Amino acid sequence: MSDKIACDHCHLEFSKDVMIEDDGHYFCCNGCQGVFHLLSDEGLDKFYDKLGDNKLAPPSSQFEDASNFDAPAFYERFVSNSDDGFCEVSLIIEGIHCAACVWLNEKALINMDGVVGTNINYTNNKAKIVWEDNSVKLSQIIEMIRAIGYDAYPYDASLQEEKANKERKEYYLRMAVAIFATMNMMTIMVAQYAGYFSGISASIKHILNVGEWVLSTPVLFYSGWPFFKGMYYGIKTKTINMDTLVATGALLTYIYSIYITLTHSGEAYFDSVTMIITFVLVGKFLEILSKKSIADTLDIMSQHLVSDVKVIENGQIVTKNVNDIVVGETILLSSGERIALDGEVSEGSGNFDESSLTGESEPIYKAEGNTVISGTVSIDADIKYKATKDYAHSTMSNIVSLLENAMNNKPKIQQLANKLSEYFSTAILLFAALTFLGWYFYSYNFEHSFMIAISVIVIACPCALALATPVATLVGLSIASKRGILFKEAAQLETMAQADTLVLDKTGTITLGKPEVVIVKEFQKFDTALLYSLLSNSKHPIAKAVALSIYDASLSCYELDAFNNIASQGMTAMYNGKMLAGGNAKLMRTIGLDIESSSEHSEFYFSYAGRLLAKYELFDMPREDAKEAIKKINKMGIDIIMLTGDHAKSAQKVASLVGINMYEFELTPEEKATYVEKLHKEGKTIVMAGDGINDILALASSDIAIAMGNGSDIAIEVSDVVLLNDTFSSLYDSFTIAKRTFRMIKQNLGLSLVYNGITIPLAMAGYIIPLIAAISMSISSLLVVANSMRIKLGYKD
Amino acid sequence: MDSWVIGMMLGVSVFLGSIALVALMWAIKKGQFDDKEKFLHGALFDDESELNDAYQREEKRKQSVKKKEYRPE
Repeated sequence: MSDKIACDHCHLEFSKDVMIEDDGHYFCCNGCQGVFHLLSDEGLDKFYDKLGDNKLAPPSSQFEDASNFDAPAFYERFVSNSDDGFCEVSLIIEGIHCAACVWLNEKALINMDGVVGTNINYTNNKAKIVWEDNSVKLSQIIEMIRAIGYDAYPYDASLQEEKANKERKEYYLRMAVAIFATMNMMTIMVAQYAGYFSGISASIKHILNVGEWVLSTPVLFYSGWPFFKGMYYGIKTKTINMDTLVATGALLTYIYSIYITLTHSGEAYFDSVTMIITFVLVGKFLEILSKKSIADTLDIMSQHLVSDVKVIENGQIVTKNVNDIVVGETILLSSGERIALDGEVSEGSGNFDESSLTGESEPIYKAEGNTVISGTVSIDADIKYKATKDYAHSTMSNIVSLLENAMNNKPKIQQLANKLSEYFSTAILLFAALTFLGWYFYSYNFEHSFMIAISVIVIACPCALALATPVATLVGLSIASKRGILFKEAAQLETMAQADTLVLDKTGTITLGKPEVVIVKEFQKFDTALLYSLLSNSKHPIAKAVALSIYDASLSCYELDAFNNIASQGMTAMYNGKMLAGGNAKLMRTIGLDIESSSEHSEFYFSYAGRLLAKYELFDMPREDAKEAIKKINKMGIDIIMLTGDHAKSAQKVASLVGINMYEFELTPEEKATYVEKLHKEGKTIVMAGDGINDILALASSDIAIAMGNGSDIAIEVSDVVLLNDTFSSLYDSFTIAKRTFRMIKQNLGLSLVYNGITIPLAMAGYIIPLIAAISMSISSLLVVANSMRIKLGYKD
Repeated sequence: MDSWVIGMMLGVSVFLGSIALVALMWAIKKGQFDDKEKFLHGALFDDESELNDAYQREEKRKQSVKKKEYRPE
C-alpha cells in the first residue's frame, strides 16, 4: 500500500490504484483532471513549473449557478464603473496557496476576451478585476476562476477598509517627508549647537539657517497640512483642539525664525518646527494604524444575502429579484434556504430555524397556514409560501432600518486625551499671550518677549500628549489581537475600561447555541449503529446532537426502509421488518409506549420493535469557561445581566449554572434594545455581548458591542469588538486589557502634564534655550513610549 | 573655508537626498508597497515571458479604451 504517487494537478499523494490514469498522468479526482487539461489547452501549464512542491486543494465541482452574478441588483451592489468606462469588481479568491496560484489566476483572467486588468493581492487574496461589460460578463469571469480550481465571491470594497488604506498611504507620504527633513535637520543642528557653545561666524550661521528654512518649509506645509485642516475645522466649530496648538505653535515659530534669519539676529527655531510636526504626526499615524478595520471578516457576509427568489408564475418557476415581488405571489423554498419575505405557508411543511429572530435554538414546525418570517432558515422544509408583505416591509428590512437608526444614535464617550487637550491647548495659548504681554511691559523689548512667548508654545507643544494615547492603545490592541480579540477602533479600549454593566445574550453567547447530550439512560443493550443509521437521515439539531454523541468511526450504517420524518415528534423507519423509532415522548406514546416526560431538558427516546432501548436528555450547555469568567468580571465591579428570547425555565437554569442573578426572558429583539436604552438612561456604560441577528439592535444601542467570532455576520458588523476564538475567557481578557491600557493612558497623560508643569514656568521665566527645548521634547516623548510598553508586562505571548 | 562651500555642500546633499525621497514617494503612490508578499515574490516572476505579458496587458488595455472611444453611440 506504500505505493503512493502524487496527483499531477494538486500534488496530494494517494495510492496508485485509486488514481485516474490519463495518458501517463495521474489524477486524484475528475476535478484535478479537468483543470489539468484546461490549463494545457490554454497554454498555462507553466503553472506547474512555478508551483514547485506546493500542494493544492482538489477543486470542488459543486457551485451555485453563477448566473446570479449577472443580476442587476448584484451589479448595483458590487460593480462600479471606472473612469474610462470599464466595469470594476472586487473579489475574494478562495483556494490561493502560493505565488503560482496568483500567477495562474491573473494569467487566465487576462487571457479572457474583454478582461482589461487584474490585480490580485498575495497577502489577503483580494482581487480587483476590470473588464468591459459588452464582451464578457461577471458570471463568465467567476466561472473561469472556478474552472481553474478556485472559487471567488465579490465583496463591497467601498467599505471603510479602502478608505483606511488611502488615509494610511497619505500619512506614509507625509511622514516620509517629515522624517527625511528632520534627519537632515539634525545634522545641521549639530553644527548649530557646536557653534552656539564655541562660537560660529555670522555668515555660516546664516547659511545654516537658510538650509533649515528650506528643509522645514515642506514639513510645515505638506506634512503638517492635517493640523491646519484640523485647526480650520476647530475654528468652524469654535473649539480649540490639539491641532490648533500644534498648527499655531509651528506656524508662529516658523515665521519668527524667518524673521531671525533675514535680520541676522538671535537663534532660529526651525528645528523645533520640524520636530513638533514629525512627532505629533507619528502619534496621529499610530492612531490611524490602530483603527484597523476588520472588513476582511465582514466581506463574507455578502454571501448570505438573499437577493433572488424562485417564484411560481403561470405554473412555471422563474427567478426574480426580491424587490420585484408583490404581496400575494407564491414563492418556492427548498430546505436549507433563507426566507426573503414575510409570508404564509401555502403548501408543504417542515422545521424552521428561527434563531436569527428569537435566539431560540429549538426548531419550529410550520405547516400550511402558519406564518413564516423573513430571515429565518428552513431546516428540512420544502414549501411554497405566499408573500404577505413586500421586501421593504418585511421583518428583516425593518430590523435593518431600526439598526441604522440605532447605530446613528450610538452614544460616544469623549476620549480623555481629547477632553484634556482641549483645556490644555487653550491654557497654553493663553499662557503664551500672557508671557508675551508680561515680558513686553517689563522689558519693552518686542523681539525678546516674542521669543520667550514662542518658547512657551514650543516647550508645551504636546508631543508627549499626542503620543500618550495612541502608543498605549496600540500596545493594548496588539496584545488583544494576539489573544483573538479584535477592537475595531482604538477609542473603544477607553470606553470599555469605563464600562460598569455587561449585558449578555443567552443562546450562542453564554451557551454554545447547540443542544448537547447531557444525560444518557440505556434501558437495554443495543446496537448503536442502528440508532446512528436512523439519526443520519435527519437534519434536526437534536438528532444531529445525539448522532454526534454516539458517533464512532467503527460504526457501519444499516439499510433502513420506509424512513418517515414525523414533524415535531421524531422519525421512524423499518429494519428487518420491525419498527425503529426515535423522537420525543409524544412519538413514543403514539407507537404504544407509556412514557412520562418530566425532565426540564429536551428528550430523545429510541425504541426498536416496540421496546424502549434508550433515553437521551439534551440541553444547550453554557460554555465551559463561562462561569469562571463571569465570576471574575463580576469581581471587577461590573454588573452582569442576561437577556434572552428563550422561556423562563431555561433562562433560569442557565443563569444559575453560570452564576448570574439578574436576567430577563422572552424578549423580542426590540425589547432587548429598549432594555439597553433603559440602562443608558440610568447613566450606565454598557458592554453588550451577543451573537445573533436577534441581538443586533441591542448591540447597536450599547456603548461597546462584542460579537462572538462564530456569531452571525451582521452581529459582527455592528459590533465594536470581535472575540475570534469565541471563548468567555477572552471576554474577561478584553476587560482586563482595556482597563490596563486605560490606566497607562492616564499615566502617560499624567507624565506629560507633570513634564509641562515643570518646563512651562521655566519657559515663561525665559530660562529655556532652543537646545533644551529640543532635548526635553524628545525625552518626554521617549518616556511616554517606554511607559506604554509596560502594558505588555504580565501578558506573555 | 569660505562659507559658500558650506552652502553648496548643504544644497547638493539635500538635493541628492530629496531625489531619493521623491523616488520613495513615487513608489508609495504607485502602490508598490501595498502588497508585501508580491514584493517578495516579484523576484520569482521576472523572466522574459513576464515582461511580454506586462507589455501585452498594457496594449490590451489601450486597445479596449480605444475601442470604447470609437464606438458609435
